Amino acid sequence: MTLLRQYILPRIVQWFVVIFVGISVTFLIPRLSPVNPVDQAMGRLTSFQTMDPEATLQMRETLLDLYGLDGSIIDQYLNFWGRLIQGDLGPSFQSFPTPVTEIIGAGIWWTIGLLGTAILISWVLGVVLGSLAGYFPQMWWSKFLERVVITVYPVPYYILAFVLLMLLTYYWPVFPLVGGSRGDPSFTWEFISSVLYFGFLPALSLVIGGTAFRFIMAKALASTEITSDYVQYAELAAVPKRKILFFYIIRNTMLPQVTDLALSLGTIFEGALITEVVFGYPGVGYTLYNAINSGDYNIIMGITLLSIVGIATASLLVDLIYPLLDPRVRLR
Amino acid sequence: MGQPIIQTENLKAYYITQAYGVERTVQAVDDISISINAGEVYGIAGESGCGKSTLLKVLLGSYEPPLTVVDGSVTYHLDDQTIDAVNLTPEEKRSLRWKDISYIPQGSMHVLNPVRKIRDTFHDFISAHRNVTRKESMKMTSSYLRDLGLPDKVMGSYPHQLSGGMRQRVTIALATILWPKLIFADEPTTALDVIVQRGVIQMLKEVQQREGSTLILITHDIGVHANLADRIAVLYAGKLVEEAPTRTIINEPKHPYTKFLIESLPSLDGREERSSIPGRPPALDHPPSGCRFHERCPLAKDICLTIDPEMISVGPNHRTACHVVAEELSHEPAI
Repeated sequence: MTLLRQYILPRIVQWFVVIFVGISVTFLIPRLSPVNPVDQAMGRLTSFQTMDPEATLQMRETLLDLYGLDGSIIDQYLNFWGRLIQGDLGPSFQSFPTPVTEIIGAGIWWTIGLLGTAILISWVLGVVLGSLAGYFPQMWWSKFLERVVITVYPVPYYILAFVLLMLLTYYWPVFPLVGGSRGDPSFTWEFISSVLYFGFLPALSLVIGGTAFRFIMAKALASTEITSDYVQYAELAAVPKRKILFFYIIRNTMLPQVTDLALSLGTIFEGALITEVVFGYPGVGYTLYNAINSGDYNIIMGITLLSIVGIATASLLVDLIYPLLDPRVRLR
Repeated sequence: MGQPIIQTENLKAYYITQAYGVERTVQAVDDISISINAGEVYGIAGESGCGKSTLLKVLLGSYEPPLTVVDGSVTYHLDDQTIDAVNLTPEEKRSLRWKDISYIPQGSMHVLNPVRKIRDTFHDFISAHRNVTRKESMKMTSSYLRDLGLPDKVMGSYPHQLSGGMRQRVTIALATILWPKLIFADEPTTALDVIVQRGVIQMLKEVQQREGSTLILITHDIGVHANLADRIAVLYAGKLVEEAPTRTIINEPKHPYTKFLIESLPSLDGREERSSIPGRPPALDHPPSGCRFHERCPLAKDICLTIDPEMISVGPNHRTACHVVAEELSHEPAI
């Protein structure tokens, strides 16, 4: 009970506060900017044709209402929350009048699927391989792995992605160039296998980069762990190496590793901009990219809100998982 | 008692390091010959940096470069078998450890995995050497802990939930759960307060006497040795300087260094200030010539500066390496 009151409740309150402040700031920033989206939209609409002043005025009012920009800033703020609670993020400007939620909803599952899988795979690979390499630093495969990682890690992601794209879609065309799947979404093998097929290359590019980073981190953590008294003592007692690796080394590095995993998962909602653009993948990163190019404020707002909620939730989860990972946290 | 269980002969173990082409040799264990009998409690004493822990590592067969055995031998005599402890294969080590030879480490505060419950750690250590199910190992653990007077709730605790003394007792139990014949204990009572120390000493005694195991006890604390050990060896700067039964060494120490060590102990009725040994132990990468103690020895003569003293027998089971003692002995009228 004290755990609930002293540990869990404060963190849930904190989660609400973070989201509230984050969303309020997101509301304020565009309104403090000198660029008026209504003027911009008017400019776009009137650049190709002339309109009579009456219609222009009416249009301006409609747009103000539509953008939620009428009334004082307090009114706007209250209206903003009112709509947000109903799940209304307004319409997209670019593809008017499709609601923003629908546009983001179309991309978000692709992104969650792609990034979620890639992050999980690279996390498990990185942690296990890195810890192995840290535990057996003298082995040839450990040195070999480290050389490979150190070579791959500094390569900028966009170069890696383009190299993969050119090699595997152009010179040796085994993977498709653009898209997320074939056919309509359904629970058939045909559709699911096409999702895996289309997602393989972007996922591979993400896994390579992500694994390299986590390998380096896991190796560093493991090499301090193997000098600890409890690992040395278990070694002396000839406890099997496999047990030492998983229950003595990896288990003790879980605190930073799980933090990293959860925060990475939290950033999913921003999408992987470069990945989705390079591989023509239909996720939110691509949506965001288009929205920024066309000044589609509602979509930008929507994705920003999602990532605020995503990261706040991820750190809430991390905090809630800590006591399970390290019994010492329960005391605090 | 009687049969030797572990012997060393002219054992030399040096730390050999090389940095930027400069070789550095630290003579941490130099020419030590000892023989420890089965069932005995053998104390190894000496101040910090005299090679106690290095000697223990070599005896235990648990050392890695830069520590190298340069010369001499370590032999175990277990179940009528003679085992060369200097060249153990990893398999041999695995089969010897815990079942035959065990180790209670220095600074037991951190030897228990902080994220693992005590009972899981026991299971890890037991199942590494015995083919047991989890249930069996739990039963072994709980009955052993009960025998040693440790509360049952220790099993389900994490190390940080236990006090320092309790953790040390749990570690002793963990090291001795498989009834090893040979137990090494490295400073088992250091960092514990006096009251807890007594409990730990009591427990070590119990564990040792139960199966008549051999206990090799390393500590700088002569008081602990006096309580536990049957025989004491005094090390100074990597050399064995004196070895005798506990009573003899405390009542009639021969070597000037041992005398200083015994004199520095407080006695119950003594109110006078304790004297300390002048100077500090030498660095072992360039040990002094001759007797290594000559720089601090008030009795040092010319011969001490150049010639390394030999081990001489000065009584039953009593030997020491000192020119001054040797000279006195030669002047005594033969009976």
